[in-house]
Amino acid sequence: MPAKSIGQEYMKGLWAENPVFRQLLGMCPTLAVTNAVINGIAMGLATSFVLILSSLVVASIKKLIPNQVRIASYIVIIATFVTIADRFMAAFFPPISKALGPYVPLIVVNCIILGRQEAFASKNSVGRSLVDAMGMSTGFILALLLLSSIRELLGAGTFLGYQVLGEWFKPWIIMILPAGAFITLGILLGLALFIEMKTQRGRA
Amino acid sequence: MNLYTRMIVVLTVVGLISGACLSVVGLLTRERIELNRQKEIEEAIGTVVPGTKSYSAAVEEKDLTVYKAKGEQDNLIGYAVYARGTGFQDIITLMFGTDPDLDKINSLTILEQKETPGLGAKITDGQAFLQFWEDREINQGLTLRKPAVDTKEELASSEVNTITGATISSQKVLDIVNFSLEQVRSLKNQGKLEGED
Repeated sequence: MPAKSIGQEYMKGLWAENPVFRQLLGMCPTLAVTNAVINGIAMGLATSFVLILSSLVVASIKKLIPNQVRIASYIVIIATFVTIADRFMAAFFPPISKALGPYVPLIVVNCIILGRQEAFASKNSVGRSLVDAMGMSTGFILALLLLSSIRELLGAGTFLGYQVLGEWFKPWIIMILPAGAFITLGILLGLALFIEMKTQRGRA
Repeated sequence: MNLYTRMIVVLTVVGLISGACLSVVGLLTRERIELNRQKEIEEAIGTVVPGTKSYSAAVEEKDLTVYKAKGEQDNLIGYAVYARGTGFQDIITLMFGTDPDLDKINSLTILEQKETPGLGAKITDGQAFLQFWEDREINQGLTLRKPAVDTKEELASSEVNTITGATISSQKVLDIVNFSLEQVRSLKNQGKLEGED
């Protein structure tokens, strides 16, 4: 792997290796919680917390963990941070915790987190892993924000709960249902691929 | 150290450390979480039985708690009923307030639910659902109005409105209320609500 600058390490998470649009990881929360912008943001932030801290811990103890039990160790570490985030929110931000409900514990099974430990944090220095985790988090938050904005706007005519579209607009209920998530994600993925192909051709 | 011992040692240590972290976090947050729950119940009682100055639990069962709500002169002004039951997706926890004779419901509030976001989750929405639960007569049991109507005036006094697109969630809430009302009534007839003062 050619050495990347710290800036490139961060930026790759935004587009070139965006966890949602390019790696297709973490599809479950992406599809499930993006029915409202506030849910998307809260989910993105909670996932970032877990991803960044897990990457830090895994990168610092990577040499101690035998290869055969690495996945089990990573999952225990990830689950610990998820539970901390869950309890912390329930204790200090009960309204947010209520709104997210079952989504927070589900961060444990988000593939982005385990994927980054396996693909990056277990092979790179602590500093680089931190930057990588931050880049991936930003990419994930942006993707959720994009998806949830489209779905909330078309599905409820609102943005962050505020009415944006006028009386004439009849909400497309399908957009806040799972089917709407698949449709939106499919179109966005196609679009991302299209842009990627166009820019590739331009470079060549 | 050979590989097998190392595997066991590493996993054990990782498990122990995370277990220790979690028990600390658990200890630090448990009180606050319980406090939040208490506060939530207290607020809910105040909402469903307006004018409550003090309250005490008269009956506590697994899925049903009946609180006696008392006014300024320490007189009984109503019951706040805390009930749990199955919703469309998961358990719904709710609370509703009645007058002392169990003739009508003052209002309803949903404490916990995991219904479909954007559809069934509207059972927590005042505008879409809860306003249609205010001042309902419960002597004959409540029924659901289908299809939904737009204003409260169109409902009979023992009817509650449906959420369009979430009939099952609406029905489940109604079932929980009707079921717990029956229980409260039989408890009252047995004199169990007055007993503990």
